[in-house]
Amino acid sequence: MKSTTMSARRRWGALAGLGAAAALLLSACAPASSSDPTTPAETSTPSETQSAGGDETEAPAAEGGTLKVGYISPITGNFAIAGQEMVDGWNLYWDVNGNEVNGVTVETVVEDDAGNPEMSLTKARKLVESDKVDVVVGPLLANTALAVAAYTSSVGVPNLHPVAASDDLTQREANDLTLRTGSMSGSQMNYPGGQWAAEQGHKTAVTLCPDYAFGWESCAGFKQGFEASGGEVTSQIWYPNGTSDFSTYVSQIQAAGADIAFVVTAGGAPGPDFLRSFMGLGLKDSQDLIMNCCSMDQATLRALGTDILGFKSISYWAEGRQSPVVEEFNAAYGERFEGKIPSANVAGGYMTASLVARVLEEKGLVTGADLVSAIGDISFEDSVLGPLKWDEFNNTVGSVYIREVQEVDGKLYNVPIKEFPAVDQWLGLDPEESMARESYSQSFQG
Amino acid sequence: MIRKSSALGFLAVAVVLVAFPFLGTSAYQVSLASTVLVAAILASSVNFLAGDGGMGSLGHGAIAAAASYGAGWASMQSQSMTMQIVIAMGTGILASLAYGLLSMRTNGIYFLMVTLAVGMVIYGLAYRLSSVTRGENGITGIKRPELLAEPWAFYLFVVAAFLVVTVGLLVVSRSPFGASLRGIRDSESRMRSLGYYVPAFKLGAFMISGTVASFAGLLSVWHTHFVSPSSAEVHRSVLLFVMVILGGLGTTMGPLVGAAIVVLVENVVSNSFERWPTLLGVIFILAILFARSGLVGSAAKLLERWRKRSDAGRTPADSASTDATVSGSIPSA
Repeated sequence: MKSTTMSARRRWGALAGLGAAAALLLSACAPASSSDPTTPAETSTPSETQSAGGDETEAPAAEGGTLKVGYISPITGNFAIAGQEMVDGWNLYWDVNGNEVNGVTVETVVEDDAGNPEMSLTKARKLVESDKVDVVVGPLLANTALAVAAYTSSVGVPNLHPVAASDDLTQREANDLTLRTGSMSGSQMNYPGGQWAAEQGHKTAVTLCPDYAFGWESCAGFKQGFEASGGEVTSQIWYPNGTSDFSTYVSQIQAAGADIAFVVTAGGAPGPDFLRSFMGLGLKDSQDLIMNCCSMDQATLRALGTDILGFKSISYWAEGRQSPVVEEFNAAYGERFEGKIPSANVAGGYMTASLVARVLEEKGLVTGADLVSAIGDISFEDSVLGPLKWDEFNNTVGSVYIREVQEVDGKLYNVPIKEFPAVDQWLGLDPEESMARESYSQSFQG
Repeated sequence: MIRKSSALGFLAVAVVLVAFPFLGTSAYQVSLASTVLVAAILASSVNFLAGDGGMGSLGHGAIAAAASYGAGWASMQSQSMTMQIVIAMGTGILASLAYGLLSMRTNGIYFLMVTLAVGMVIYGLAYRLSSVTRGENGITGIKRPELLAEPWAFYLFVVAAFLVVTVGLLVVSRSPFGASLRGIRDSESRMRSLGYYVPAFKLGAFMISGTVASFAGLLSVWHTHFVSPSSAEVHRSVLLFVMVILGGLGTTMGPLVGAAIVVLVENVVSNSFERWPTLLGVIFILAILFARSGLVGSAAKLLERWRKRSDAGRTPADSASTDATVSGSIPSA
């Protein structure tokens, strides 16, 4: 009997505890919505207007008005760092330039999707149906991006993609409301890497890519570029996502005995992990290597330091490029983030914000497909990504850089050593011809 | 026997669910409610298997995903709606059969591992068999029947589906078959010595549960118009278990309550609270520590105790009456 009274008391305690915890947590979140905890310093401007704009939303878009932006990014989960960088880039632009352009206030609602497509979709629904945003920006990952783009285009809301690399976003699934703003498709950004490798006199190549869509597209781009310029890819190795020990793959690269190795990761830990194995097995001086955008970004440079001086990679973003736009952007970012140098994800977010600002500047408040076509009409002599314009499928056409890790003023930068101008997503084919082929996979690499 | 009060409670829940879209709610809230209900149907299938059969499965997310992929593949081949439904349910039930046959002779942790393994196989296929599944990009643009095109129509359909599934599982649970399952759960060797062929019962239970899970998979793809490998991830199956345990293992309304908590934390709390995964974890830990039989189970017990106290002296309430709401309480370990 004693035990039952004990357990009864414990259960009451449980309920009280649960209630208290719920109350605590709820009160903890209440202020959080107005001072977004995800970006301590940067959101201050947008979130102030968010709370101020909250009163205005009742009266529908007054002239001059507000452009309401829903920003979806994985702020928690495996891709949190990349997702946060994408948000930082967007906020950085408005922080530097003010979030009022030509009388239009830009108001941002940031949503976390944890890199999960179902959650991405629910968040997109919430932004469109509940927050009534004019445009959805993001998300980051290919599968989440395709899911959100399908939904937003079905309800007539424009969707801008600062980072997502999926080919189909601007090919088989292209539409008037979806536009890639700050990156390139997976095959597009690596195609010139193959051309460059062949131009350097390499006859054979081995590739190592992650075994999913992004890896298939990246490797397909490199392979087609390499073979179109007379090289031959003799061996293609695939590793499952989530690999952290690359020593067996490095051995396979060594065994392949090709002139050059092309290695792709989707960013994060795999880049440094691969390079540690690569250098650990002593291949640094004996095996030529070129890596993709994200394997050799600032996170990798910070992790490995001067050990990787001279390593080459290929990307649409080069933080060490001599250009006033890039230097200004680097300085603004460094000032707010402890002297760090921005990565491609930050550049993508920043680029997207600058495009929106430019449209508002030139045309005032435009929404829907007009916003997308207005961005599509823009062309840059020089942006943070270099010369840039858009094709009729709303994909970027711009420069791709072969970059080398160099030390400048005590910091490591990816400095461009060769620029391929005006690279489009068709890899030398007709759009129709290209899209009529099957999607890239392990077995189909173009 | 079903007590009047729990029947009334069920009716009240049904009325609230049906009335929800007419209470001035926004389209987004209705769509969110659909998400909760679809998750609740899926959690019900896990709840039935674990509550009555004592079989904890870590593979039900993948069964639902198999059905979703069936619908997605059929839609890519521009099959008719009827064929899409048939293919979706067929794929899901076939997957359940594979699970069931492999796991029917196991129990406890071994059962868990077998379901986990088969789930990983389905995830692997979704991820790698890109000619059928389109790999990580997933399949977009999957339509639902014209009749259900409107969000509120779809919502009401999901409500009906939830109620039918809940009552259906309750009926199975109250049948001699359900009683035998509980017998197997409590002592497999005793049932065997009584002459029951245990694997057949386990397979039967798995097929019932798997059919419900497949149906949930079809509803989920009708809701999001989209399926990708992440729906087959172990993570999703684990969350299903969290829902069931939060709500109360073996309770009728537990899956709904659990699904509501998980979906709302994932999709609403995360809007303003960055550490929502932590919050979910804290809620789960608190429930495990203090509300062993879940929120619904514990609430029912509290209610029972309170009633007993107020009735004291008149009719000594029999302790078995808790079973009206807590159908088949958990063996107090």
